[in-house]
Amino acid sequence: MIARIRSAGLVVLILLGMSPALTATPATAAEGGEVTLEGIVNNSILGHATDGYYLDFKPFAEVELPRIMLSRTAGGALTLETYGSTMSMLKNGPYGLAPHGGEEGEGHGPLVTQGADLEEAIAAKEHLHSTVKRAEGHVVADLSISRHFVFGLLSMVIVFGVFITLAQRYYKKGIGRTEAPKGAFQNMMEVMVVFVRDEIAKPNIQGEKWKTFLPYLLTAFFFILVANILGLVPFAGAATSNIAVTGVMAIMTFVIVLLYSSKDHYRELLTGPPDAPVLVRIIFVPIEIIGLVMRHLALAVRLFANMVGGALIIFSLIGLIFIINILFGEGAAVGTVIISIAFTVFILLLKLLVAFIQAYVFTILSALFIGMAVEEHHHEEPEADTGPDMSRLDERLDAVEEAVEPTSA
Amino acid sequence: MEAAALAYLAAGIGAGLASIGAGVGIGLLASSSMDGAARQPEATDDIRGLMIISAALVEGVALFALIICLLLAITIFI
Repeated sequence: MIARIRSAGLVVLILLGMSPALTATPATAAEGGEVTLEGIVNNSILGHATDGYYLDFKPFAEVELPRIMLSRTAGGALTLETYGSTMSMLKNGPYGLAPHGGEEGEGHGPLVTQGADLEEAIAAKEHLHSTVKRAEGHVVADLSISRHFVFGLLSMVIVFGVFITLAQRYYKKGIGRTEAPKGAFQNMMEVMVVFVRDEIAKPNIQGEKWKTFLPYLLTAFFFILVANILGLVPFAGAATSNIAVTGVMAIMTFVIVLLYSSKDHYRELLTGPPDAPVLVRIIFVPIEIIGLVMRHLALAVRLFANMVGGALIIFSLIGLIFIINILFGEGAAVGTVIISIAFTVFILLLKLLVAFIQAYVFTILSALFIGMAVEEHHHEEPEADTGPDMSRLDERLDAVEEAVEPTSA
Repeated sequence: MEAAALAYLAAGIGAGLASIGAGVGIGLLASSSMDGAARQPEATDDIRGLMIISAALVEGVALFALIICLLLAITIFI
């Protein structure tokens, strides 16, 4: 039984290693079916690692996603336009393909809006990789549904499904409340939930306050975990390899820190450390404020860079086969296949580890930041409060004595 | 040299320097946490958690550099 599981696991691993190779094969029909170095780097490697407006089931199909554009017409009116796909937007709407290398500033080059040029570009799948611009007026906001949005939504649905089912078991059926949880699924999830509670929330957040923040920490942990693991599934992508997704998650932590900060935290943030000279406080306050913002910025960039870095390494290793095919010919490329696949399997295993570690790191750093913010200095506060009072009392006594002495004299 | 060639060179050197820095940092971290775990085996779990957090912090800085290198290398194509 164990041997069978092991061999099945091996087959799955090899298939996992193969699948990027398969999906990358019809790599670049960019320049009329010719595979070029630039095409590999630009369309295959970057196109797979970054966001796009299509779902890639390459050997079988390619599904274009709906485009929603909030734009301003030449007359100055705001319009919201919805199209089924990029292709229909280019064919039916006032939009055109900007040629490669067209910068935002100089962007009044000839737009490909219709006719044979457009048909050719669509046949070469160029419309999926190049910039789309409005023929007259300009685009205010591109609200299109992108690949990362779809997979972010999918991981949200998975997290919802798993945990609502679990909650039903606990609350409706009562399994796991008074007796031990039943079944592999419930046991596995309970281990992870208890891990987040006991190893992440409790040690980092003071007193009983962890109960307030545990729901957020659990949600963040499982969303990131599911999104990261979706990045390892063939044909899918990781929503966390998009800076917008991780940025919004970091902003959530930031907002929680700002909303739930204790008075002590705000006082130290805005007036510097207690018992410090004024000069030191002037230096400290800007540093503290910049540090607070940078901490959360780094939280977003860390997760994003880890995920996009892993994807880039995998696609670069696979792309190496095609690059060597162009540079040194077929024989060398066949030799590279073995090395590339072996490395890809290794990197995929590493990415599985990284998926868990990054979910853990994001959650524990969030807990740490929240814990630092909500902490109240119970020991220092009475001293700090009585200290100035006592000295002020002494001053007042001195003043009274000075005031009294002349009259008595 | 061309501007594009200089940008590639900068991206390559930058990526190398960033990995050297992160490598030294995480190496020091691992060596001292292993020392700690060997001297006090009962504290291994605590040390592991702290090690992962600090490794993530070190790595975060290196990843900032990596992103800058990526931007240098990619913007030439786009």
